[in-house]
Amino acid sequence: MKKGKNKDLLSMITMIGPIGFWMILFVAIPLVYVFAISFMRKGIYGGVEFAFTVSNYLETLNPLYLQIFIGSLIMAAISTIVCLLIGYPFAYLISMKSQIKKNLLLMLVILPFLTNSLIRMYGWITLLRTEGIINKVLIYLHIINQPIQLIYNNFAVMLGLVYCLLPFMILPLYSSIEKLDMSLLEAASDLGAKSRKTFLKVTLPLTMPGIFAGSILVFIPALGLFFIADLLGGSKSMLIGNIIRNQFLTARNWPFGAALSMVLIFITLILVAVYKKAGGSMDDLV
Amino acid sequence: MINKTIKKIISITIIGVISLTAMTGCGSGKSKEKGELNVFNWTEYIPESVVKQFESEYGIKVNYSTYSSNEECLAKLQSSAQGTYDLVVPSDYMVSIMKKKGLLEKLDKDKITNFHNVNDVYLNRDFDKGNEYSVPFDTGAALIAVNTNVVKEDIKSYKDLLNPKYKNSMVVLDDQRILIGIALKALGYSLNETDDAKLAQAKAYLEKLKPNIKLYDSDSPKSSLISGEASIGLTWNAEAALAMNQNKNIKVVYPQEGMYIFIDNFAIPKGAKNKEAAELFINFILRPEINKKIVEAFPYKSVNKAAEDSLPDSYKNNPASNIPDKEMIKGESVKDVGAATAKFDKIWSEIKQ
Amino acid sequence: MKKTAKRKINNIFKNAYIGFVYLFLFLPIIVIVVFSFNTSRMNITFQGFTTKWYISMFSNTTLMEALINTLFIAVVSTFVSGVIGTLAAVGMNKFNFRGKRIIEALLYVPVVIPEIVLGIALLSVFSILNMELGLFTIILSHITFSVPFVIITVRARISGLDRSIEEAAMDLGANKFKTFIKITLPMIAPGVLSGIMLAFTLSLDDVVISFFTAGPGSNTLPLKIFSMIKTGVTPEVNVLSTLIILVTIMGLACVTFAQARKIKSIKN
Repeated sequence: MKKGKNKDLLSMITMIGPIGFWMILFVAIPLVYVFAISFMRKGIYGGVEFAFTVSNYLETLNPLYLQIFIGSLIMAAISTIVCLLIGYPFAYLISMKSQIKKNLLLMLVILPFLTNSLIRMYGWITLLRTEGIINKVLIYLHIINQPIQLIYNNFAVMLGLVYCLLPFMILPLYSSIEKLDMSLLEAASDLGAKSRKTFLKVTLPLTMPGIFAGSILVFIPALGLFFIADLLGGSKSMLIGNIIRNQFLTARNWPFGAALSMVLIFITLILVAVYKKAGGSMDDLV
Repeated sequence: MINKTIKKIISITIIGVISLTAMTGCGSGKSKEKGELNVFNWTEYIPESVVKQFESEYGIKVNYSTYSSNEECLAKLQSSAQGTYDLVVPSDYMVSIMKKKGLLEKLDKDKITNFHNVNDVYLNRDFDKGNEYSVPFDTGAALIAVNTNVVKEDIKSYKDLLNPKYKNSMVVLDDQRILIGIALKALGYSLNETDDAKLAQAKAYLEKLKPNIKLYDSDSPKSSLISGEASIGLTWNAEAALAMNQNKNIKVVYPQEGMYIFIDNFAIPKGAKNKEAAELFINFILRPEINKKIVEAFPYKSVNKAAEDSLPDSYKNNPASNIPDKEMIKGESVKDVGAATAKFDKIWSEIKQ
Repeated sequence: MKKTAKRKINNIFKNAYIGFVYLFLFLPIIVIVVFSFNTSRMNITFQGFTTKWYISMFSNTTLMEALINTLFIAVVSTFVSGVIGTLAAVGMNKFNFRGKRIIEALLYVPVVIPEIVLGIALLSVFSILNMELGLFTIILSHITFSVPFVIITVRARISGLDRSIEEAAMDLGANKFKTFIKITLPMIAPGVLSGIMLAFTLSLDDVVISFFTAGPGSNTLPLKIFSMIKTGVTPEVNVLSTLIILVTIMGLACVTFAQARKIKSIKN
């Protein structure tokens, strides 16, 4: 009974206090603001009129918007899976290297991202264009005869999304894989388990937290990175991010934009809750 | 594991960071100084040298921020405290919206003595009769740019763009009012038509045009024209001018049905703290020699009739920059259509699906 | 002999895989560096070789100012989110308290809410609080969207960590603060490092939220670059990016050599 209750309370306040304060002031309050607007009516010249209505939410049920929601969700899901497939082996292999190499390799992952993302997207446009570098190289190597369209289509958008979000998968994965106790893996193989079984039954479950964190940090932003669809996709598709942006800008329909945002937040929270349940005992994992 | 030197470095950094943060948070009494001007303008509209010249001539410090669309300007203006900005540059329809929302101050024309330098064609328009709240800064249009090396036909109108030969070859502006407006004009209606039946026809027109569109781009359509990715463009006239400089094969066409034109104007937000400085700035920009500097840097069409003679030949002879006034008069501007805006937005979302 | 040969081939494949991923990540960077020598002012086609932009960039005062602002904002917001986020991750892992679920749910909001909505909402909050817009407000907004990334990353690390070491330390007489600094922090260090690296890149790249929360005249690098699109982003920006990468590589090289030398000296 050395530690009194007060000391526990003090350390809890020190740790949770700042985040609690921050969340309330800069997240809860803006959220309430958006929530409130979603029930108002659009003002004649934009802005909001203080009149309660649920018409904005009813409008979100329009099949046009539902279609767009689903399209965005699918695109985000595919990018997440691709990032996972590419990122997991990568994070695993890096974590096996020596201490010095590990840190260096990790920093090298971030290095490209110190450059502005717009400039990097322009770099991709130069690479993917019809008369761009990749086509030129492929033709030079006689792999193709005519240039293929690598840009302003879904392929380019997917590439852009994966490119921008890969570190968000690699870093959490690495952080979780790195603490794997190698002795556990050795014990498993000593006990006769083949490497695939060890992976499925030991490695994978132990690195689930990393997989979970990485997927979340890729999937959710992927829903909103519409500027990639605009730049690399030629702005030919409407994603939920475009629609919401249009409501706040061109259509000057803030209430509808707010309603769409609330629906987006709601869907995301549900998906995260489902994901957590599917992962089993990850309750302590945000 | 954490040795002493690293501990020292960390503590010094922490102290440094905290004090710097405190300083930025507290030291924000800047705009209480005399002689400041907060300008909120479009990107790439006024060259830095012009701003610096104003600063040194009048001893007023200019804080210059930029936006890339009227609605961004409106959104920021509406949500920030009154008096944050002293000068904004909204387009025609946005001036009328801001006026109606009570966001603008009346201009003191006595202070803006160079007002008479403005070309009459662009004054006294519907969006601000008598120019009580706004003074034109520049004007421009959305026109057709053609790479004559690739496109051998003579394109004269919006209807010509539907030719299936042009499949997957066009870059068009990513703007719902302009694209739907052009479809309406191609059908002989007004850019601002809100009748449902006519809008449905416009939507059908755009569906026909869609296969020809390779990409939408309002930010830098010139890039696709210059790189050859697109051989026809529906772009801003300034973008076309820049593309023409890089590729001599690119020619511009003023579509027969009439272009979408815009006029960007200076306006002073309500509650501006430095109204007089703002009016000084407007007057400064309206000087012929200053207009010349601006036009030399950014190839938009000038509204300054006093500057006309002194403008460089590169501007005068460029059909993209120097669109003849008679073509501009034929053109039509976007007007705010109030509640019908939602109709345009819906059509746009459907087309992009 | 067979086993070592197999292992060697295995190693080659492994390193090749790592190499390919890095190639993917660095491909556009190579383009950026090459184009920093482009004679054409517009970043569209490569027209000729020149080093003039390397000289003119340093006299581009607005670009330099924007760079300094951006670095300052990134360092401060990363530091603060790192501290708040790490404390929160450890605390939430340790304690259960009323409102924990609410805070957990709220954490996702800055991640999922569209940037334009968060930007406008934060701007309104600043207006209500009568805060003057400036670098300070930008920093506050960057911390807001960075903290969730730090927390989620650190928690992935903490989950399943052996807490018995901490308990042992405290039983041996160390107070909570000392335990945190000497035991907990080193154990979660890779997680914290990953988290703050993510926060740093988020801050460096932010456009939309910075647009709404910036004051008149506080310009950031991403905002400045976005504003150059109309007349073409000049190669000076490429020069800047190339130099930033160069400086970082040199810094990494120094740190790596220092570490290697330290380990060598320990071995000897």
